[in-house]
Amino acid sequence: MDDEVYAFALKNTLNEIQNICPDVKNSFMFNEDGEIIAANENTPEKTLVQVVNAFDGMMEKADALGGVEGIIFEGSKGRVSISSVSSFYLVTVTTKDADRNLVDTVTRVLVPTVLRLLEKITSAPLKNIQPKPKIEREIQKPEIEEPFGEPLEKHRMQEPEELSEPEVKPEAVAPEPPVNQFIVENIGGLLVPADTVRIDNDILAQWEELYEGKKIEEVEIETFGRKSVTCRVKQIKDSKYEGKGIVQMPEKIQTTLEIRKGELVKVKPVVQ
Amino acid sequence: MTKKKKSEAVVVTEPIAFEDTVSVGDLRASLEEIKMYDGVIGYILRNSSSASIDLRDPSKIIDYAILSSSAFDSGAEFSELFDLGDVSTVIVEGKAVKMLSLVIGEHKVGIFMEKNANSDRILEKLHAS
Repeated sequence: MDDEVYAFALKNTLNEIQNICPDVKNSFMFNEDGEIIAANENTPEKTLVQVVNAFDGMMEKADALGGVEGIIFEGSKGRVSISSVSSFYLVTVTTKDADRNLVDTVTRVLVPTVLRLLEKITSAPLKNIQPKPKIEREIQKPEIEEPFGEPLEKHRMQEPEELSEPEVKPEAVAPEPPVNQFIVENIGGLLVPADTVRIDNDILAQWEELYEGKKIEEVEIETFGRKSVTCRVKQIKDSKYEGKGIVQMPEKIQTTLEIRKGELVKVKPVVQ
Repeated sequence: MTKKKKSEAVVVTEPIAFEDTVSVGDLRASLEEIKMYDGVIGYILRNSSSASIDLRDPSKIIDYAILSSSAFDSGAEFSELFDLGDVSTVIVEGKAVKMLSLVIGEHKVGIFMEKNANSDRILEKLHAS
């Protein structure tokens, strides 16, 4: 999966943690190589680097303990907790009065869940969750119209070749619409139509190729809560969102689907 | 009564008299008691003029002393970065061993224990002393 999408999802998770627990002042994640994976909006980059350097120094000395699983710094005004989650380290900085149980519960549940989800998505490629459907004869078995009352033996008497190789032209079978997963990103502005989402041009091109050049003008969007909506689709204009598995969605559609920026949705083309 | 010999204990003391001898004595007594708790491996007690080390495995003394010292240094660094105030407790959880570092007055204490040892009980004991 694109690292940026991974980071985007984790950043949103960290921001959500702060929304749930306002006593969390900063939170961020880095990997075993000291690379920053994601940070919430409050944490300056300079601070991240300094923390990783300080942690690195501790890591070397903590070999005596058999490697570090977690560190807690308890101060008179606040607390820093560094905990190992999968192959990452999660740092949370909380105020002195923070509800530690709540913070611990939220971070220990939410972050591993998102990581697992991301790993699952990684195992099923983000851009094309379903492979292009094969246009094969097996897709549709021919409907053999038989008059009522005809003996069943007639079917049994048929040659096997007749059943396995029906004369169905591949061109006549419409492929199943591919389902892609995207992360919701906001789109707004005066000239932005409220009924149109934007996705990668590459995806639109793939769909159009799949449907022999038919222009894809509408998509069906479904949430994991099984809410769905059909709306118009156009290609992403802003290059910074290209190739990141993002669907830019107006607020109105997000409200209809009861979702928000950062959530995952399933999108499939609607072929007229 | 026979004297119990502690072959593992290493005490390094500079020839400077303590002003707060009683306090150090109390603290050391508490640490001796803590050392008997389940899973406790040993401790390092130091202040500006002396250090007491009592560890089950003497070969770890240097590593643990360096770690204990660097925990306090990192604590100060983190405090500056995130405005934590005075960092009085640092817990480092390793895959095999856990270290609890505390500042008690002018003393810095590092207690080493097995991962599943009850550090809350130790904290309670030290705060009570």
